[in-house]
Amino acid sequence: MIIGGATDSARYAHLTASLFLFYLVANSLTGGVKSVTAGQRLILNTAFPRIMLPISAVVIAIFKFLPTLVVFVVIKAIVGSPFTIQMLWAIPVLLITIFLSLAVAITISCINVYFRDIASFLPYLTRTLLYLSPILYEASALKPSLRAIEIVNPLFPILDSWSRAVVQGKAPELSSMLQGLGWATGIFFIGTYFFLSREREFAVRL
Amino acid sequence: MSSLSVSNSHLTNELAVSIRGVGLTYTTSIDKKPTLKARVKSLGRGKKQTRVVRALDDINLDVEYGQVLGVIGTNGAGKSSLMRCIAGILPPSQGRIEVYGSVSTLLALGVGFNPSMSGRDNVFLGGLAAGMSREEIAGNFDEIAEFSELGDAIDAPMRTYSSGMYARLAFSVAAVVRPDILIIDEALSTGDAKFKEKSLNRVKELRSDDRALILVSHAMQTIRETCNDVAWLHKGKLVQRGEPNAVIDAYQEFLHLGKSAVIDEDF
Repeated sequence: MIIGGATDSARYAHLTASLFLFYLVANSLTGGVKSVTAGQRLILNTAFPRIMLPISAVVIAIFKFLPTLVVFVVIKAIVGSPFTIQMLWAIPVLLITIFLSLAVAITISCINVYFRDIASFLPYLTRTLLYLSPILYEASALKPSLRAIEIVNPLFPILDSWSRAVVQGKAPELSSMLQGLGWATGIFFIGTYFFLSREREFAVRL
Repeated sequence: MSSLSVSNSHLTNELAVSIRGVGLTYTTSIDKKPTLKARVKSLGRGKKQTRVVRALDDINLDVEYGQVLGVIGTNGAGKSSLMRCIAGILPPSQGRIEVYGSVSTLLALGVGFNPSMSGRDNVFLGGLAAGMSREEIAGNFDEIAEFSELGDAIDAPMRTYSSGMYARLAFSVAAVVRPDILIIDEALSTGDAKFKEKSLNRVKELRSDDRALILVSHAMQTIRETCNDVAWLHKGKLVQRGEPNAVIDAYQEFLHLGKSAVIDEDF
């Protein structure tokens, strides 16, 4: 079911809210992928923590995301979606998303040093993630047989929690938030370990 | 030109840099831009994707405060690698490097510059990349602008600059820092003859008893005029170290070169 939801207005609010958050992660990926290779001159000539490069890509993505929050609040008010105290759950969900964005940016920036064509695959990856995530549809509308994508997609539980908090004004399921946090923590530790163990040779690989 | 001073006072002949048994071996890809596609294609073909480079081999070198050390050698001798090791950019594979003081590098000009921004904005960007604070850069902005001789062009986007103008501004930003240990790698060859002379004079000004300078150059006349000690590297090894004229003469003899204006070509 595409763009499934309870009401037309809820569907529209869900679509915009989910899309805005999705692009926080997508922009971190696209900004992060070339952050190390584009910083070649800095890496070759200055001693500084190389991990600042993907971090700065995520900071840029966050600054691009912040205005969309204002746009969403306006849309939510227009469509008459309820504002509740439970919407504050959006804060921990957003923090988990930023953590995940940081994790994927660090990981992919390091991979790109060794395989420079990774950036070319990125549009396919983000497009696939877009369709596999509950953006064009609501998570609850997914058939049980397709529930497997919920397990393999780190964005699935995060976007579901985000939609419940900011669109429906309900508390997200704790299991979804923990699942999202688990993904972000796992990718962060693996990616950061990979990055920190390899950053010493970036200067001779670029 | 006034300068930023980040140095502590050091006694002449006090150790500034100690290099003990330093070696640098690294693995780099054969392709300039390695790709996943090429890696997948080469699977099962036994084609080598990487090569091992031994850039430095058992280098032992001390640099003292008050010393101006010139580093000479042919291309690929390991000069830049050694400078990057001292600056902490490349960690050595073997040995130990101890640095007693703040280090600033002039390995390349214009690091951190953004061509779409004005020269004025890039002074701040370049200064921040060199480790200065915003306040320090603002306090020295007039001197930087004056030294660069750009005039009103300082407010034009850097993409409109000629390569000489770009290099002049870049050197002016870099030259304002006064660290304990300054490493300069071929950064003097910028701009027109007048600016080159000005740059050289600026480096000569930086010579002092409480500072150590390490100067990498192919310009032998500059090394003779500026340095009081010279190290000659070849294929990653330290061949000779000592009084500038003696080491440079031996180096030129090794290259089977006579003395001529071209070989000594400088500013």
